Amino acid sequence: MLNQAFEALKKFDFGTPLSELQAIEDAVVAAHKDTAVRGDLEARLIAALATDISRDAKDYVCRKLALIGSGAAVPSLAALLSSESNAHLARHALERIPGPEADAALATAANSLRGKLKLGAIASMGARGGVAGVAALAPLLHDADVAVARAAALSLGMLGGSDAAAVLQSAIRSTNGAKAPLIDALLGCAESLLRANQTDAATAIYQSLAGDQQSRLIRLAATRGLLACAAKA
Amino acid sequence: MAFPGSGSIRKSQHATSANSGQGSSRRQFLKTATVATFGVPYVISSSALGSIDRPAASDRIVMGGIGIGNMGRGDQEAFLGRGDIQYVATCDVRVSNREQSKARIDDRYKTKDCRAYSDFRELLARPDLDAVHIATPDHWHAIMVIEACRNGKDVYCQKPETLTLREGPLMIAAARRYGRVVSGGSQRVLEDYRRFVEPVWAGELGAIKSINVNVGPLPQLCNLGREEMGEKIDWDMWLGPAAWAPYNSKRCSGSFSINGDSWRSFSDYSGGGMTDWGAHHFGGATFICDVRSLQPTEVVYHDQAEGRWLDYLYPNGLTIHHNKPQSENLQIVGTPGEQLPARPVPAYRGAGGIYGDFVHCVKTRETPFRDIEYAVNTCVLAHLGNIAYQLKRSLKWDTASQQFLDDAEANRLVDRGRREPWQL
Repeated sequence: MLNQAFEALKKFDFGTPLSELQAIEDAVVAAHKDTAVRGDLEARLIAALATDISRDAKDYVCRKLALIGSGAAVPSLAALLSSESNAHLARHALERIPGPEADAALATAANSLRGKLKLGAIASMGARGGVAGVAALAPLLHDADVAVARAAALSLGMLGGSDAAAVLQSAIRSTNGAKAPLIDALLGCAESLLRANQTDAATAIYQSLAGDQQSRLIRLAATRGLLACAAKA
Repeated sequence: MAFPGSGSIRKSQHATSANSGQGSSRRQFLKTATVATFGVPYVISSSALGSIDRPAASDRIVMGGIGIGNMGRGDQEAFLGRGDIQYVATCDVRVSNREQSKARIDDRYKTKDCRAYSDFRELLARPDLDAVHIATPDHWHAIMVIEACRNGKDVYCQKPETLTLREGPLMIAAARRYGRVVSGGSQRVLEDYRRFVEPVWAGELGAIKSINVNVGPLPQLCNLGREEMGEKIDWDMWLGPAAWAPYNSKRCSGSFSINGDSWRSFSDYSGGGMTDWGAHHFGGATFICDVRSLQPTEVVYHDQAEGRWLDYLYPNGLTIHHNKPQSENLQIVGTPGEQLPARPVPAYRGAGGIYGDFVHCVKTRETPFRDIEYAVNTCVLAHLGNIAYQLKRSLKWDTASQQFLDDAEANRLVDRGRREPWQL
């Protein structure tokens, strides 16, 4: 059945009944806790990505690798990051694969790609989480493309923590561009610090945003943050 | 850019009274500010001053809507029918929805002033808007709600409010960060299940041990083939953060089908019947049992001859069953012979059902009946269930970290990648 499903994958495209791939679906779920079976299945999926299967079929494979992929799948997925057709679901898989290989693949893409594909890689770094992305995202805050700078800010806000907060504060001081995404991300960092019981650091951020130079909305957010800090102190 | 029934003075006062809780009315401020600011005679129209059945412009909520299909139209008409709403902007990626929506609004006010948008970001960027309602397909909800909060808008969002487990905490965080009123959109939670709620909250059934929810089906991946586009629609914006796919009328149909004939059936855009009706039924169950502020910590998966079903285990000892064989929807097991002290049943504030509740809370900054946190907790049940059924196993859910315990694969299903350029 599984062999038949992989054979069907070669001709799979929009409009093909999904039942033809059901055996792959079942095998992915059944591979739970069986490392050998899982590794074999992953290898077959990776091999399929290297063939000339349809866009839809590659997307399907990426969806399955999102669930069972490992570092072994990263090179094949990274190769799709520059593809207008398949980058999205390749990122969907990379966001979920643990380990430094996926971090590096997304960081490389975020720095080398252009346009929407670059924005996607930046967004995936934020969604992936972890401190590894801070250094790679920091320079992008100063990108001439405002969409890139905004995406980098939002991703840093997702990562949270003191390192991300520091680069955001620096960018707020120096930028001539839009500050709203930077401030939104900085507020996200303050919330992450508060959750981590780093109340003093969070308080300092909120105090920096509570002044009259800020909009009413930001002052409200800063005041709410300060109250939350006081409640936790 | 000027918009009807709006203005920076009134808007400014709204933010002050809303956020600080100070007592002066928006109308009083308008009068004061008019004199103080201009220092010259100023003609205020009768419309601005209001009448018996229509509050002064300064006391109206300036509102817009995004996603004006089947559900959005109903929401819009509810808000449009209120005298304390000034509806000024509408947005839809379908040309027909957009044009009909604008016509409906203009007809209501006998003007041609409503602005119609195809890109929600332009609508949300308007500084004169106080609030928006959102009734797009579910895959757009989180992005739009969060962006609305970033722009200082209060939000009424149709159910199911989330598409993934990860989205919920981020939507709550955005609402709390900016002090926004964000209400979910299931009117059934309070209005359909009252006959269950009242005896339980009166203590007549004693401590509730379990309740059963029958709802489904599960969402399915959509692989429909390409169709000629028989309507004017911005297809790329309809797909938004979801995976690219060719146009197909069933893929984007806004009908209420959950069996393959509308977007509600498909996992890229919806949690299927589990979320679509689950938002109501799970919402009702959690309200009946007074666990709206909680999430379950374990989902026990059963697969036996009589079918597949789930037990959601709560930290307070409650069990919510899903599709338990031979059980009716909202079948409650209490403690026979036990009478608990009665508690007051929460209700909508203001007048006009769930819409009136939202509008009242926009004015007073109170917490709406279906606050986004309650809505998220309801959706969590549906998402946890979908994942347990997909993986065919029991799961332990850590409510603090919003992660599954000892199941790395399940954690890969907490969220999904969003198509570029979209980002939470």
